[in-house]
Amino acid sequence: MSIVVQEIEAPRVAGRRRLRLLTKRFLRRPMAVGGLLVALAFVIVAIFAPLLAPYSPGHTDFDAVLAHSSSKHLLGTDDLGRDVLSRLIWGTRASMQVGVFATLLAMVVAVPIGMIAGYYRGWVDQVIARLTDVLLAFPFLILAVGLAAILGPSLLNATLALGIGSIPGFIRIARGETLTLREEDYVPAAVLNGANDATIIFRHILPNMTNTLIVQATLTIPGAILGEAILSFLGVGVQPPTSSWGTMLQEAEPYLTQAQRLSVYPGVAIILAVLAFNVFGDGLRDVLDPRTTR
Amino acid sequence: MNRNRIAAAVSAAVGAGLLALLISATAGASGKQAVKFKAGGTLTVAMTNGEPDALDPTLARTFSGREVFLTICEKLYDLDAHTNIVPQLAAALPKVSSNKLSVTIPLRHGIKFNDGTPFNSAAVVKTMTRYLTFKGSVRASELSAVTKVTAKGKYAVVFHLKAAYSPLTAQLADRSGMILSPKQMSKLGANFARDPICVGPYMYKNRVAGDSITVVKSPFYYAKSKAHFAKIVFKIYNDTTAAAQALKAGTVQALDAIASTDIPSIKADKALSITKAAGLGYGGITINIGNKNGLLKLPYQNVGTDLASSPKLRQAFEMAINRNTLNKVVFGGTVLPGCTPVSPSSVWFDKSIKCTGYNPNQAKSLVQQSGISNPTVNLMVPTGTVALREAQFIQAEEAVVGIKVNVQSTDFVTSLSKADAGTYDAFLIGWSGRVDPDGNIFGFVATTGTLNDSGYSKNIVDRFLSHARSASTTKARRHYYHAAVQQILNDRPLIYLDHPIASAGISKKVAGVTMYPDTLLRVAFAGYTQ
Amino acid sequence: MLVVASIVVFGGVRAIPGNPAIALGAENRDPAVIAAVKAKYLLDKPLPVQYGHWIWLAVQGDLGVDQRQLSVGHTIASRLPISLELAALSMIVSVIVGIPTGVITAVRRGKPSDYAATGVALIGLSVPHFWLGLMAIIWFAVDLHWLPAGGYVTAHHPIANLKHLLLPAVVLGIGFAAVLMRQMRSSMLDSLGTDYVRTARAKGLSEWSVVCKHAFRNSLITVTTVLGLQLGALISGIVTIEVIFGIPGFGSLTIDAINQRDYTLIQGVVLVVACGYVIVNLLVDVVYSLLNPRIRTI
Repeated sequence: MSIVVQEIEAPRVAGRRRLRLLTKRFLRRPMAVGGLLVALAFVIVAIFAPLLAPYSPGHTDFDAVLAHSSSKHLLGTDDLGRDVLSRLIWGTRASMQVGVFATLLAMVVAVPIGMIAGYYRGWVDQVIARLTDVLLAFPFLILAVGLAAILGPSLLNATLALGIGSIPGFIRIARGETLTLREEDYVPAAVLNGANDATIIFRHILPNMTNTLIVQATLTIPGAILGEAILSFLGVGVQPPTSSWGTMLQEAEPYLTQAQRLSVYPGVAIILAVLAFNVFGDGLRDVLDPRTTR
Repeated sequence: MNRNRIAAAVSAAVGAGLLALLISATAGASGKQAVKFKAGGTLTVAMTNGEPDALDPTLARTFSGREVFLTICEKLYDLDAHTNIVPQLAAALPKVSSNKLSVTIPLRHGIKFNDGTPFNSAAVVKTMTRYLTFKGSVRASELSAVTKVTAKGKYAVVFHLKAAYSPLTAQLADRSGMILSPKQMSKLGANFARDPICVGPYMYKNRVAGDSITVVKSPFYYAKSKAHFAKIVFKIYNDTTAAAQALKAGTVQALDAIASTDIPSIKADKALSITKAAGLGYGGITINIGNKNGLLKLPYQNVGTDLASSPKLRQAFEMAINRNTLNKVVFGGTVLPGCTPVSPSSVWFDKSIKCTGYNPNQAKSLVQQSGISNPTVNLMVPTGTVALREAQFIQAEEAVVGIKVNVQSTDFVTSLSKADAGTYDAFLIGWSGRVDPDGNIFGFVATTGTLNDSGYSKNIVDRFLSHARSASTTKARRHYYHAAVQQILNDRPLIYLDHPIASAGISKKVAGVTMYPDTLLRVAFAGYTQ
Repeated sequence: MLVVASIVVFGGVRAIPGNPAIALGAENRDPAVIAAVKAKYLLDKPLPVQYGHWIWLAVQGDLGVDQRQLSVGHTIASRLPISLELAALSMIVSVIVGIPTGVITAVRRGKPSDYAATGVALIGLSVPHFWLGLMAIIWFAVDLHWLPAGGYVTAHHPIANLKHLLLPAVVLGIGFAAVLMRQMRSSMLDSLGTDYVRTARAKGLSEWSVVCKHAFRNSLITVTTVLGLQLGALISGIVTIEVIFGIPGFGSLTIDAINQRDYTLIQGVVLVVACGYVIVNLLVDVVYSLLNPRIRTI
């Protein structure tokens, strides 16, 4: 009996030891560390937006419309005389919110489904695979535009739409991982030990795929941030007066020739944030996933 | 990018016809005699008010569609620059019988449809029968007073009416007066829109859905020498900025509606000129007062929101808005600030009505007096950058006086549905305007009005408006409208904010493009200059 | 699967609030008019009847008539090629840029040029293409007047046609070039490390002939893989780029149809997209297994 127990515990013990090793390996990648720091900075800005922003995002000054940068308004003002810097900071909050929550939503829904498909295989797998195909056949943007039309455009619904759009990817990964992991030695061992399916799935298989899921999540967040920007730009995402990078771009578009800077700032913010998450995610994958040697 | 969606879906039919002033028309209009046109060439017009719908006058509703019809489908009557009604395919103004129940219209001789078939009374009768009986006909409701139309010889028709109906002539100066080729009607039936044939200086060539409509010079037109282009392409732009750039680049030679944000750069371009016309419409806020169960679900009952329950709060709401700053900040100076349903460009404009001016201090104390603590207004706005900018402007202005505004950005079609259903507090929406004041007032505030989304119902207003409809003299009608509008301004089912001025951009190589207060760009008789 | 998709589309379209009668009505919303419109588009009939009517005609190849009274099938047939042309051009751009850089960076792994190129690729992946499009319009069309700001000219005028599509194709292609380059680089690294290559080198084959041989084979697999994985992203990209550049393709048609609540048009468009998606995926699978029998797709 004791041998069996040891075998079940084995992966997790190794995991703890591995963590130190992985951290070391991660720290040796300056790009990835840089990505992590920038990404963290964005998250901090998002959380402390009310403290950091010099003005409230809705504060208008109709006498200083489309003003250039000055000591009063570091990045100038927009078409309604609002402080661009403050709106960027608050926009960080909206964009991060959409990015993170859409990803979480997709994970919470997709991972159990993918695991069930991979664990039980057979007709369950077939049905889930076909439904995933149907979902995939609607490109995320058309899906999101349709959903926004049905539910009405808002931050919450943009998050929902982007979350739903990310579901198929997570299902496929969770399913693939489960297919591999259920063949590992500790699964039959746990069965011998009298563990039921739920215990095996959640206590044994799930912990062993966290690495892969974390990597996928880190790479899904920037996709969702881009998605928010596209949806809001098309007018079906976050709605003014809520400030997000996408809405800022949408509002700036008519002023492209008059005040190009209004389009530049949010664009740069999007690039920086997405780049940071991508670099961090890439580094994390290299460290965590031994199969890819890039 | 739903910019201009409002205008897009708006279809401005012309109501009962009377005078309206043309604020300004530059470009070729003024220098008609001096201009020498060059025959031929292609004119490409950028259309930014949305895509035309079916090119079948039986079904057509869109504003843009009317711009195209101006080149390919002539009407029994037309408007002139001062919105007087003048004969077009009719030979003279109609003769009304003494019992006012039959209207005789003489037709012009020697006119051919663009398939070469003759225009005559039989064609008019066949067209009118289609308008009255075709399934899904939009014209049927405009012609609801007509029981039937009969031929009187080869060149006259008689409209038989249920009851006296003076706006008939005005209706026949719009889509209800377009006459279709009988041969084509028989050939295409319900699919007339696929190849519409009427009488016109140009004839339909083809259409690429969502992109463009092409018309070419007609060999059959009775005044061929007046049409100069070989071809006119109406190109649809969903993005006004892109359209403005196309105009500057010379890809298009005319742009039917310039966004306020693009006016400075077009003005600065020496190769372009701007034609302006103050429209007959208005922009404003509809307040849901009694639309509890949906449009026309009578009786209307107070919906009990902060705005609906307190007239003082509505007054404060209006006083908080500075119309002049609104014009400057939101519209870049392209509207006429105003407070009534009738535009200053109309002869019906009533100067004696006093507006509720901007007064934030009094607004604050009115909010206090209303007894409502932390009043909140949910302002529904159709998505689109200009409308959203306006809503956010209003939000900032109201915040100053202590009224919290939640901007509810809603897809245009959904917003109309919600307005009709009564599931909104306040709605930022305009009206494209009609020539007759009845078209700007009755539908919105009369208890039985078909556009009364406010659910406003006041006996005295209903009475004034119905008297105004039946009164025979202009003076009497003016008197009734004055009284009605005073009462509306006092009750505020709508708060009127502005009257848009339409601006079109035109290449200086082209002359003869005009715009009347109906704000349609008229290109049919323009041409390249020599 | 297509049956499920057709039901999803049909139901989804009708779940959008705001009915087409009102969309068509706008200022003409008199109850009599609304009723007439509903009758015309069968909207007064129960849903299953509407669905049956639509699908029965669709199976026979008739997708119905849109709000403009034009045939939906005809509209799609005229708009689809424009999007396909844009897609093809942007794929060409991305292949031209992505494949060689992928090969070079793999060969020069660890050298400064590798870091520079991978860095640029990462930025390429992170730039929102609609933003890049806006900036490109400002720089190349408005300021420099090199290329038109948008619009479309038919292929009857090939030069004007290319001029109009160049900017959008490059903007759209750059993002995919980054994906291609990364994929190409990693697959080249994999194959350059295999025993086969070592043997080839030992046999005295020149470095470049080895690289070229592998580059060709790998590039085919890479393009196929990326196309399969990124098809959804490509379609989404086309939609936004078409909106920004005012190209009358399939993407802008879709957005307009949704905004106008043009039920028959939305149904037709989405059904075609779904079919196209299935077909391309099938082709990708087939090509994939032909190119590389070892790999089976999950």
